[in-house]
Formats: sequence, structure tokens, C-alpha cells
Amino acid sequence: MRYIKLSSKNFGRFFKSLEAWGTLYAPVKRGCIYSFQEVHDPGEMALDYNRTMLPPKKFFFRPKEAILRLKNGRWEEEVEAEPMVLFGLHPCDIHGLKILDKVYLDEPADPYYKSRREKTLIIGISCMPDEYCFCKSLGTHFAMDGFDLFLHELPDGWLVRIGSVRGHEIAWENGELFEEVTDEDLANFKEFEEKRSKAFQKELPQEGLADMLDLAYNSPVWKKYAEICLACGNCNMVCPTCRCYEVCDRWVDAYKAVRERRYDSCFMENHGLVAGGHNFRPTRLDRFRHRYYCKSYFDPSAGYNCVGCGRCDEFCPAKIEHVKVLEEVRGSLQ
Amino acid sequence: MNPYQTYDARILEVKDLTSREKLFTLRFLDPEVEAKFDFRPGQFVIVDIRGFGEFPISICSSPTRRGYFQLCIRKVGRMTKFVHKMKEGDVVGIRGPYGNGFPMEKMEGSNLILVAGGLGMAPLRSVLWYAIDTGKYENVWLLYGTKAYEDILFRDEIIHLLKHGEAMNCSVKLAYEVESPSCIYLERGFSDRVCKGVVTDLFRGEEFDVENTYALICGPPVMYKFVIRELLDRKLSPGRIYMTLERRMRCGIGKCGHCIVGTSTSIKYVCKDGPVFTYWDALSTRGLI
Repeated sequence: MRYIKLSSKNFGRFFKSLEAWGTLYAPVKRGCIYSFQEVHDPGEMALDYNRTMLPPKKFFFRPKEAILRLKNGRWEEEVEAEPMVLFGLHPCDIHGLKILDKVYLDEPADPYYKSRREKTLIIGISCMPDEYCFCKSLGTHFAMDGFDLFLHELPDGWLVRIGSVRGHEIAWENGELFEEVTDEDLANFKEFEEKRSKAFQKELPQEGLADMLDLAYNSPVWKKYAEICLACGNCNMVCPTCRCYEVCDRWVDAYKAVRERRYDSCFMENHGLVAGGHNFRPTRLDRFRHRYYCKSYFDPSAGYNCVGCGRCDEFCPAKIEHVKVLEEVRGSLQ
Repeated sequence: MNPYQTYDARILEVKDLTSREKLFTLRFLDPEVEAKFDFRPGQFVIVDIRGFGEFPISICSSPTRRGYFQLCIRKVGRMTKFVHKMKEGDVVGIRGPYGNGFPMEKMEGSNLILVAGGLGMAPLRSVLWYAIDTGKYENVWLLYGTKAYEDILFRDEIIHLLKHGEAMNCSVKLAYEVESPSCIYLERGFSDRVCKGVVTDLFRGEEFDVENTYALICGPPVMYKFVIRELLDRKLSPGRIYMTLERRMRCGIGKCGHCIVGTSTSIKYVCKDGPVFTYWDALSTRGLI
């Protein structure tokens, strides 16, 4: 890793220089929520944001998109990818993209996701946790890779970690904007990280979590929460690692059709429905439990399918708390 | 190459199997695609009716018979109703084959017990003809449970094997639930092999060399538990029990998430990790059967 410093006075020029790499998207405040939107001026950004409603997955795996177009009886590909710069991603979202990468870039790679991913620059930014964050207990509160540049806040600027060749290129091309890191900066960086580490209010203890949950398959806690749950699927939509999709064909006119895919939710009744009407997850309890098991699945090479961003809690209309459900399920074993 | 792109295949023949199922014989239009298309018994393809949608279906012909492949399609929903209206010469899109299929090489030299229930006969027919055509398997038993005589899939082939299976080291047993004159005629002709009942009744009196036998099961979800119990009672190792499963598969390549099964310790994609699983997999992955 290479470390450099970007002082506050150079931030504006640095921001402008990124425009050469693609359309800039950054968190902005819209009403009471934050959202990744196209920005042209540093002033538009809300870099002190806690979390956006939709995670950055929306840039790669779109809420709704045409994948094939039918013309003259043949499917034509619909791969359009513009160069993008995603500015200000939190470590949990960077981890979320890594989990999506594992699925969508695994052979055979999804061409839509892949082309967008390849053309996108990721610039991370440090954050302070709020009452919903539990990324620290999942190890996703710090990004070691998966970004081009990562900006850590310092009193007078940013400590920049360079995470890729493209990151090096940006630093190289804008050499005059960056300085060497001083001992004082390092002390500030260390102090910030320590302060941040202590600021987490929520924790999901990992010890034996996957096994405990598996053993508690018949726990009454699942039932209790399934009854509270509205099965609206909000948690799936806002989750940075949920990526189920549904496909349908739509006629544009008598000669043209499009094959579209859109976000799907495992809370929907038809998620496990097969031809003939057999449903592999017929009840809300089955579907509720399925989502929690999918999120808590522990992959030895990639960790959990959850990054602890807290979106599912914040945007749940029934106020169901992810950590609380898992803790109660685990507790019900005794 | 876009994995969602499908290839044109022409319907060479449409045959009524029952009132609900039709057998479609297909061949790719592009000779290059046709030459490259190879599959294992137990694998499936995704059929694309352009402008209407896609659906997964298992291949019911054997890879030993080149130049075409066959799909047995039951009319159950919007898409399959559409397919049933198609005629010889019509073109559909196909992508695949997908899934792991049965480990045919591994099972060479062993006995195979195929246990089929209803539409489960379709993927097992691929195994059946593969085994008969290659002759690399000791004995093949087919235990087939069906609702009524009219519902027997590939009826001509089944009756042919009832009559002449011995010569091909293949023994067929049939269980039906609804009595009819045709069934009684069959039962009279093959009293030791045809009976009224369910597929597990066919196990009665059946003994096999557990060291040298594999069981392959396909049928409705309710069937697995009972068939597996019969096999385990006869001391067949869970690793020798293969099942092929059905789920809602949209993409076939482990992306869309509909076919995910399991819990926090083990998650499987039926389309990619399956659809063929052993009973060991079922023991370690909840929700598989």
C-alpha cells in the first residue's frame, strides 16, 4: 500500500481531476435520506453521510434493466457501460461490492455487471458509525482492498491509501496535489481509527454464529419475528449484498421485445414457486428464515453475506433489527 | 460471450406422451453449436420462447444418441402451454446445458437403481438409455411409480423394456395408483413386476449388493424421504444415493438466487452445485429435500 496526503486546500482540484475518469457519483442529501447521485461540484456532496438508502450495487446491478433486445427474431445484447467514478464509499459498501463480485464475476461472468465494474473507479472515504452500524463485528469496517483510492479524514485534509494501479495513475497525474505523509498525520490517522473503533454501539458476536443459527432452525424466535415482518422486501432492496433478480419479457411493439431483469426479493411468495404450483418456501416463516440464513451464511473465503451496514434496520417499516433477531435466535438455544 | 444469449434450435418432432406431456425432439440450427453441444444425463437446458420468457427443463434423451436432444415438457403454466402449441419446424432458443448431472463415469461397473416418480422419469430416461447404450453398467433396475396407465411416460419404451429388458441387463418395475383395464392387463402379463401401489412398494423383496450399487432418484418432493428410507434400510451408503432436484431456476448459472437452499453453515445453488446431490449433501444442507 502507498500512502499520500491530500490537504484540504487541494481537495477541490483533486475532485475536478476525477472528472477525466468518468461521470462522478457521490452521496448527496435528498430530503432526509442520502443517495448516490451525479455531482459536479464538491459542495453538492454530503461526505459526512451515514448511509445511502440504495447501496452502490445500483450502479452495477440495476434495479431494472434490459439485458437483451429482440430484433428480427434475434436477441441482441444490451451492454452499455459508461466510465464512472463512485466517490465516497464506506468500507462496508466496498465489502458489499466484493461479495457481489464473487457472484457476478464468477464464471460465466455477468457481462453487464462486469463491464460496468471494470469501467468504474472506487474512491472510499472514512466514516463514523451511528446506532445502526455493526460492521466492526463482521470485520467489514475497514477495507483492505476493493478500492482505487481510500480517503481517511485528517484535521487538515485526507490521508490517502492507494489500492490499485488506477489509483496510482490518479496520484501520478496529479502529483502536485499530494504531499508526503508526516508523523503528525500518522498520529492523527491512528487517533481517528481508535476513536472510531470505540464508537460502535452495536455488535454481532461471531463466535459459533453460523452453527448456532443452524442448530436453532426450529427456534420460536423465527416465528415471532415472521409475524411482525410485513414481508415488504425493503431489506432486500437496500441490502448491498442481496442480488436476486427476476426476468420477464416485454413487448415494445409487434416486432420488438426486451428481456428485462429487476430486483427480486426472497420475501415474495413466488420466490420459491415452481411450475405446477409447488412452493419450496410456502410460508412467511420459511421466507423470513431463509433471508437470515442467506445473510448469515459463512463462506470460508469471503466471510458472511452481511456487511453490517445497518440499512435493513434503518429502512425496515416494522423496525426489526437484524442483530437483535440473530442474538435472540442464538439465545433461544439455551 | 453473453451467457444469457440463446441458440436457435429447430423442433424436429413433437410427440404426445400423455394428455399433459409432450416429447420435443430438437436440433441446433448452427452446425457449430450442434457439434459442440454435449451433456451428461441429469443436466438441464433453459428453453427460451422469444418475447415470452424462459424456463428450465431437464434433458430426457441420452448423450449417446447424437444429432438431437429431447425434452419432455408437461403443460403446467403459461410458458409450457405456449410450447405445447408449437409444431415441427418451429424454432426455440436454447442455452445450456447446465448443472452437474449424474457422475456416470464414477458409477461404471456398478448396478444402478433408478427410482422415478411421475415426471421424474424424464431425467432418469437419459440415464437409462445411457446405461443401456454404453453397456458399462452391471445391472440397471428401473422402479417407476405413476398415477395411472395413461400417465406412464415413454409408455412404449417402458413396455418394451418390461418385455425385452433382460437382454439389455435392464429390469423394469412399475407401480400405479389408479386401477384401469390396461393396468390389469399389464399386471397379468408381468405379475412379478407390475403392481398397484406407490413406488416404495416396488422395493418389497428387492435385495441388492450395497457395495456395488448406486441409487438415482427423481420425483415429486414428497417422494424422496420415503425412497431414501427404503434404501437406507437396505444399508446403502448415503454417498451412493443420488437425487436430482427441482427449484425455480431463472438464470441457470448461479446468479439470480432463486434456487438457493441451505442455512448459515451450508448454502447450495441447485442450478450450479446440483441439480444432482447425494444424500450426504441433503444431510448437511437443510431444505434440500
